[in-house]
Amino acid sequence: MTIDELERLLAQQPVAVLHRLARGRVHRHFRAGKRRLIELLLQHSSQNLAGLESDVQALLAERQGQPQPPPASTRTAHRAPSPPQKRVPHRGGEPESSEPAVSLAGWLEGLGVPAPQPFVPDPWQQEALAALSETDVVVSVPTGSGKTYVAVEAARRAMEDNRTVIYTSPLKALSNTKFTEFSKIFGADKVGILTGDRQENGQAPLLIMTTEILRNLLYDAASGEIDVRLDTLGLVILDESQYIADPERGVVWEETIIFCPSQAKLLLLSASIGNPQDIADWLTSIRQTTSRLVRHSKRTVPLRAGYLHPNGKLAPLFKTAAIPAGHPNHLHPEAKRLFLEYEEETMPSGRSRR
Amino acid sequence: MPPSIHPVDLIAALRLKHLTPAIVFLTSRRACDEAMESFDHADIVLPPARQEIIAAALDRVIAHYPSVAEHPLIPTVRRIGVAAHHAGHLPSWKIAIEELMRQGCLDAVFATTTLAAGVDFPARTVVITQSSIRKSRDFTDLTIGEVQQIAGRAGRRGKDQVGFAVITPSPYIDLGVLTKGLTGHPESIDSQFTITYPMVLNLLKAHPHEQIQGILAKSFAQFQLNQRAELLERKLDTLHVQMEPYGPRLCSDWITQWQTFDQARRQRPHRQHVKQQESPELTARFHFMTSGRVVGLARGRGIVLRQYRSKGQRNPMISVLRPDGAVTECPAATVAEIFDRAFECDETSAFPWCSAASFDELHYQLTELPTRLPTLPILVPKESDPLPDAIVQSLGDFPCPTCSSRPACQKDVVVASRLRQEQQRHTKSIQALRASLWHRFQERVEVLQKFGYLTPSAHLTDDGEWARLIRIDHSLLITELIRAEAFAGADPALLTGVMASIAHDDDRPGAFPRISTGLSSLLGQVRKLAESLSPYEDPPLLRADIAAVAERWIADPTLTWIGLCRLTTMAEGDIYRLLARTLEFLSQIHTLHGTHPSLADSAAKAIALIRRGVLEELP
Ligand SMILES: Nc1ncnc2c1ncn2[C@@H]1O[C@H](COP(=O)(O)OP(=O)(O)O)[C@@H](O)[C@H]1O
Ligand SMILES: [Mg+2]
Repeated sequence: MTIDELERLLAQQPVAVLHRLARGRVHRHFRAGKRRLIELLLQHSSQNLAGLESDVQALLAERQGQPQPPPASTRTAHRAPSPPQKRVPHRGGEPESSEPAVSLAGWLEGLGVPAPQPFVPDPWQQEALAALSETDVVVSVPTGSGKTYVAVEAARRAMEDNRTVIYTSPLKALSNTKFTEFSKIFGADKVGILTGDRQENGQAPLLIMTTEILRNLLYDAASGEIDVRLDTLGLVILDESQYIADPERGVVWEETIIFCPSQAKLLLLSASIGNPQDIADWLTSIRQTTSRLVRHSKRTVPLRAGYLHPNGKLAPLFKTAAIPAGHPNHLHPEAKRLFLEYEEETMPSGRSRR
Repeated sequence: MPPSIHPVDLIAALRLKHLTPAIVFLTSRRACDEAMESFDHADIVLPPARQEIIAAALDRVIAHYPSVAEHPLIPTVRRIGVAAHHAGHLPSWKIAIEELMRQGCLDAVFATTTLAAGVDFPARTVVITQSSIRKSRDFTDLTIGEVQQIAGRAGRRGKDQVGFAVITPSPYIDLGVLTKGLTGHPESIDSQFTITYPMVLNLLKAHPHEQIQGILAKSFAQFQLNQRAELLERKLDTLHVQMEPYGPRLCSDWITQWQTFDQARRQRPHRQHVKQQESPELTARFHFMTSGRVVGLARGRGIVLRQYRSKGQRNPMISVLRPDGAVTECPAATVAEIFDRAFECDETSAFPWCSAASFDELHYQLTELPTRLPTLPILVPKESDPLPDAIVQSLGDFPCPTCSSRPACQKDVVVASRLRQEQQRHTKSIQALRASLWHRFQERVEVLQKFGYLTPSAHLTDDGEWARLIRIDHSLLITELIRAEAFAGADPALLTGVMASIAHDDDRPGAFPRISTGLSSLLGQVRKLAESLSPYEDPPLLRADIAAVAERWIADPTLTWIGLCRLTTMAEGDIYRLLARTLEFLSQIHTLHGTHPSLADSAAKAIALIRRGVLEELP
């Protein structure tokens, strides 16, 4: 294989493969973009191109051997001497389905503002609220589903019961937004915010703070220095609780949950995560009641994915208008073609770049 | 063809297809700022009516947050209806832009992907231009969860019937990562539980030492460790079943009996080979050098990818992933330490001995490990101690040579002892999984005892009583500084400078104001102490230039925000965050008013001085 052929072969590979090849060859390769990575790979292996080539082939063979990307008749085409223009993109290994790909017009269909509708809570929202009167609740639903509604309604019910509510968010900025939002809903006198050095309306029944502040309150309470009425605390809402997996700050969510007083219900609101059941089971194992998991992964507003070429041309990304769950390779032929063109032209030796 | 679409063309294309409002996620703040600049002379201005709506909305926000009024991007926002929103901006600016987006005034916002989680406003369309994200210091591919978090901003309930996620390529893009992210199932999340010094002090303040293990057992970390332990226990159960045919024979512990006999038998003729045999300690340690295990080598650390025996000598060997990404082969004997830390590793049978995803993950984990790690306590099994001469000589005392199960023992010993070894290994791993949090806790306790925050019986000392109120990063350094009276007589500006340099964890270079000699010498002292504490706590960056920025703000109360910004190349948002974080540190110091009144007083003064101008705008 000549250096040009090798370069072209590398350019066809997903970046992940290039990173694997770069291991042990290129220092700090994670910083490099695709084109730079190819340059570096070729440069560092200039004494041993054959070694690099055989590693590429080995990796390709290995990927082919893996079950997930189905047998790719196209992949072997990499080695075939056919003209490069005919190549199919690297991930395009799926057997073509017979249905025709969606047209751009079909893809854009439905775009626009829906007719105004009266607000009706979703079943999952009602389920979460109903469960919360009995036990702790973990909600894991896609972004934009309406978790705030659950938080607001749950807070309203607890306050009607003369219970204090604490709402935490991971970021001070989000706390401020929620402070404004909740003050509008419940009235300014009902909502307070606590930061490290300040309290605004600290005696209000609904208190907003970052999770760190709540953790500190709980530690103070445990050692007998209470300054917030934790004894009347009825509900603790932890928004964006997927932060429990944050490498630096995740521990704070665990501490907060472990030390949350048992008479207060816990409401964990989280974006979609892979193992919400684990979180719910964990809660069940350390709290007094069996906690309830409310989850779904269907987006309320359907999502479509598109591909916009640098020359302004727009195409659907997938063959279907909707995103084909579980089928990353069902690419739209137009998007496939355009992206291949892009990769070829922005390759290190691409005529337009050098 | 350009490597990526021009921002003006992008907005024009989106408008043409009615795909606005949109959030355009870009790789860096620089990219966002440059995108905004490219609109300076663009002619895609909004009709006057819409410009007026934006102006009116801006005026309403400015009434709340005066700092927004002076923002240099305002003309572009008004004229074209596009804005930038990233960590380099003040919170008030971000709130303003979010408010405008919520009201539907803008056509596009350029934001950084790093902040996708903090962007709490939706749009009809999100535009994705990259497939990797800067995490700590490296770029890593976006996870499925992250791609969905980003794409999730598209499609506003009640305002859009459908949402759009549009990918436009840049040289940094791997389409596969994004298509997988859009179509895949989000990853499972794992506990990141760590045991911090303030946690130990606060736990011991409220609970007796013997209850702590039960409290740690309530963590999600322990829950997940237990899950892994249960998996091993199930494996152990199958091993028990497999062991059944090899149950007690004439002697109850026939495996040991046979091995001892066999060893003794072989030792007699070749006494000189005994020395060459693997030491029992090495054998015991080798059991723990399983894939995913973190080990200490002469030069730094590594993660074991596989264990094997060398071809000729059958020496125990391991393949180790090193922090630079290289895979090296080492004799197990060269392993200096075996740490109480093991990661999941999806093993494969060919180089690099694990799946690509595992490799990346392990490599990432390896670079993220704390400087101090607990080591595994490893018991050296007694049974493989070299045989005392007495036994060897009395070989005739073994029942084996004449025993009726001798042929069975001889035949089965290989399989049976392998099964038993595996059993022992699993049992030990299970023990380690169940007790690892407690070990780590004990280690922290020992450090706190050594420094005098805890008594030998693990009660809080007088110093421990106040030190537990410092619940921030680098708490040990801060409490040690206080005990060393480093701040005695220090004025608020010096205190603020030091706290800022401890709080700041970004190493981005830039131009900064000069530091005062007083603060400079105090920082020298802090650095020395931080270095001496480094075995127990990672030292902070302690940048003098950062300290100088904070010092200036306090030392000169007439300095305006704009004036401060002019003194440095740091972005406004970064200065704000630095001061806000410093404020947090100072307010923790302020809680020490009972025991350190003058220090708390100095902190209170510093807090009051920091809170002016834009730092007064938000609670
Ligand atoms: N049952 C519902 N019917 C219609 N719109 C809803 C419903 N629940 C929530 N929404 C709207 O959905 C949008 C997104 O909600 P939000 O709570 O911010 O989502 P997230 O789950 O990301 O926190 C909001 O504008 C909200 O008013
Ligand atoms: Mg939300």
